[in-house]
Amino acid sequence: MDPERPDRKSEFGRQIREHMDALYSFALRLTQQRADAEDLVAEAATRAWLAIETLADDSRFRPWMFRILHNCYISDFRRKSVRPAELGYEELPAREEEGDVASVLIRQPDAFLHWWANPEREVMNKLLGRDLQAAIQALPESFRVVVVLINVEGLSYDEAAEVLGVSSGTIRSRMNRGRTLLQKALWQHARDAGLITDGRAMETNR
Amino acid sequence: MTHAHRPSPPVDGDCLQSFDLLYAYLAGELKDPAALATIQHHLAHCQSCMSRAQIEREIDRRLRASADSAATASLHSRLDKLLKDL
Repeated sequence: MDPERPDRKSEFGRQIREHMDALYSFALRLTQQRADAEDLVAEAATRAWLAIETLADDSRFRPWMFRILHNCYISDFRRKSVRPAELGYEELPAREEEGDVASVLIRQPDAFLHWWANPEREVMNKLLGRDLQAAIQALPESFRVVVVLINVEGLSYDEAAEVLGVSSGTIRSRMNRGRTLLQKALWQHARDAGLITDGRAMETNR
Repeated sequence: MTHAHRPSPPVDGDCLQSFDLLYAYLAGELKDPAALATIQHHLAHCQSCMSRAQIEREIDRRLRASADSAATASLHSRLDKLLKDL
């Protein structure tokens, strides 16, 4: 957006309004609280306007704005936000480059590995939407953010990389690990709901 | 139960390699022709990985459908005011 253009403000306003639901949803996934999410979007919009000259291309408004919102969250909101019990932090490889699925699987219990090798679609179909939402919220933040940006908000890997200021290789690695952990969380929900017994789906003879 | 557990289908190196490619593949982000050929060939020949891919595709679909919570009325009025005052 050209800072000298008189319609700059109205274009900024139009874009903010167009993406308001997405911005609010992303903020809600980060802060997990409505009031904080509203504060975060408002603060991010204020900062975005002050940094409007860094938006080189109007068509990149979404990743640009998501990035400002995410940075705003990191700098001002993360400390006070309520964290749910996060699954599997201790099971994660310490180094980012150990991003392959094997490095996550090697730390998992046998019962889960059995499920992983013998997936049952029926079980997944019985899980409720709220199980999936709970599983997402329970992911460690760095994975949750990537899954939300790409799988929920529909950003490309490159756009997600731009939002988080990391390489697309890192995005891919976090995606692999995040979705593997998501599978584990869903498996735990299925087990708790009695859809899987003794670590395996109810026998259906194959 | 006295009978032995049925052995799992083998998860070998090909399965793990395919799984590393799977999410990028499902998201349409896998551009490298060799990698594309690798995963497509593996999925066509491995029932276990194909099942997993179908489950992941279903999760993708549900995640996408779960998209945006509508911004609250209070956020709308707050941003209206904020934009007006810029």
